[in-house]
Amino acid sequence: MIERYVEIASTYGGNIDALILLIAALVGFWLVLCEVVFIGFIIKFREKPGVRGQYITGEEKHQKRWIAIPHYLVLVCDIVIIVFAVNIWYTVKQDLPEPDVTVRIIGQQWAWSFVHPGTDGLLDTEDDIKMVDELHVEKDKVYHFKLEARDVMHSFSVPVFRLKQDAVPGRIITGWFEATKLGSFDIQCAEICGIGHGMMAAKIFIESPEEHQKWVALNDPTEDSKHTSTVAANNAAAN
Amino acid sequence: MTTRLVILAMLSIAASSFGFTPANAEADSNANGKELYQLCAQCHGKDGLGNQVALAPAIAGQRDWYLLNQITKFRSGQRGTHFYDIAGMRMRPMALSLRTDQDVADVVAYVAAMPPEKPAATLEGGDPEKGKTHFQVCLACHGPNGEGMQALNAPTLNHSSDWYLLTQLQNFRAGIRGTNPEDVTGAIMRPMSMTLPDEQALQDVIAYIMTLSESK
Repeated sequence: MIERYVEIASTYGGNIDALILLIAALVGFWLVLCEVVFIGFIIKFREKPGVRGQYITGEEKHQKRWIAIPHYLVLVCDIVIIVFAVNIWYTVKQDLPEPDVTVRIIGQQWAWSFVHPGTDGLLDTEDDIKMVDELHVEKDKVYHFKLEARDVMHSFSVPVFRLKQDAVPGRIITGWFEATKLGSFDIQCAEICGIGHGMMAAKIFIESPEEHQKWVALNDPTEDSKHTSTVAANNAAAN
Repeated sequence: MTTRLVILAMLSIAASSFGFTPANAEADSNANGKELYQLCAQCHGKDGLGNQVALAPAIAGQRDWYLLNQITKFRSGQRGTHFYDIAGMRMRPMALSLRTDQDVADVVAYVAAMPPEKPAATLEGGDPEKGKTHFQVCLACHGPNGEGMQALNAPTLNHSSDWYLLTQLQNFRAGIRGTNPEDVTGAIMRPMSMTLPDEQALQDVIAYIMTLSESK
């Protein structure tokens, strides 16, 4: 349902949506039920000619049930939510599959920088491809990211992945994703990080293996090639 | 006749209320520039005198054509998109927040009209006498008093913060600035920065620039 508004482009995006819908359904059910009961009581016990208002302390057993039974049922719903949430948390945040590729992501006021491995497939070697505001990944490959912050806290957010991870200065946080859809999608900062926070946007380009290899070859810093920023090229075309 | 006069008077009032007169247009531009500058002031200061902690240089009184060029470069990605340009990456989204060319023109005019002030020196260890020798290369474009020269796209230097000049010279030398293929004027400055033989020469030439003054 959520996918109608924000498409899903990661393997675990559907799980996150399912969890959000589960929570919305359970909370929504209790919201509607409570309102119906409250409004029902208001109508039933409204002012009537010849009927005096009563102060009900709620100490009678049959009165307490109106609180106790929903209370236990809500607790059951909470447990259901927790079981699903922990399961999904474990999948998304803790059970990292073996990576095919590792990239480094650096947040700073107010831009995202990305270090991609070059043709050797290894990070922190001389052929690393360093880009500002654009991350290039291959579809159907497991990526680990090493997330850092240069100044203050940021949050690396890719809505189509349903991924959001805080970047904390002084820490390197490892996460993962596997892209399932080709195209370019938004990256944003989801943690207020200063006056330029709202403009701290970047793009993720999900490419086929052929496209990605071509991009890597074109941007190999060890080759005497012209580096091509896709965003800059798009800006130039727009101008 | 009376009806025509009434219609004419109403049209005049309507035109003036929508700001169609040149005087009003100028006032609107000034007001717009001042309003837009409130965002810039967060880092550059309300008087445009810069703030080193925010990596924001002094901009008050900088030439309007240079300000326009640089904002345009930030907006197009010619500046502020290099992996190691920390300050540039802070500035780029700010430049992109200016939505129209008119907004850019208004804020540029507002900043250019700010009274400049010589920023206090923050660097130590530069020798202005030695720097004067190095500056002989710079003055061909920036002028003998660092006043700048529009024909050569060389900005005024003598109201710039010394820490900013040092950072930019280092950036040019390291290829952080002036290497974008579309940054033509930056590409001119980069080889000039390479004529300074070492880090001490940067300090020296900046120490000399800090002694310059010019009447705008």
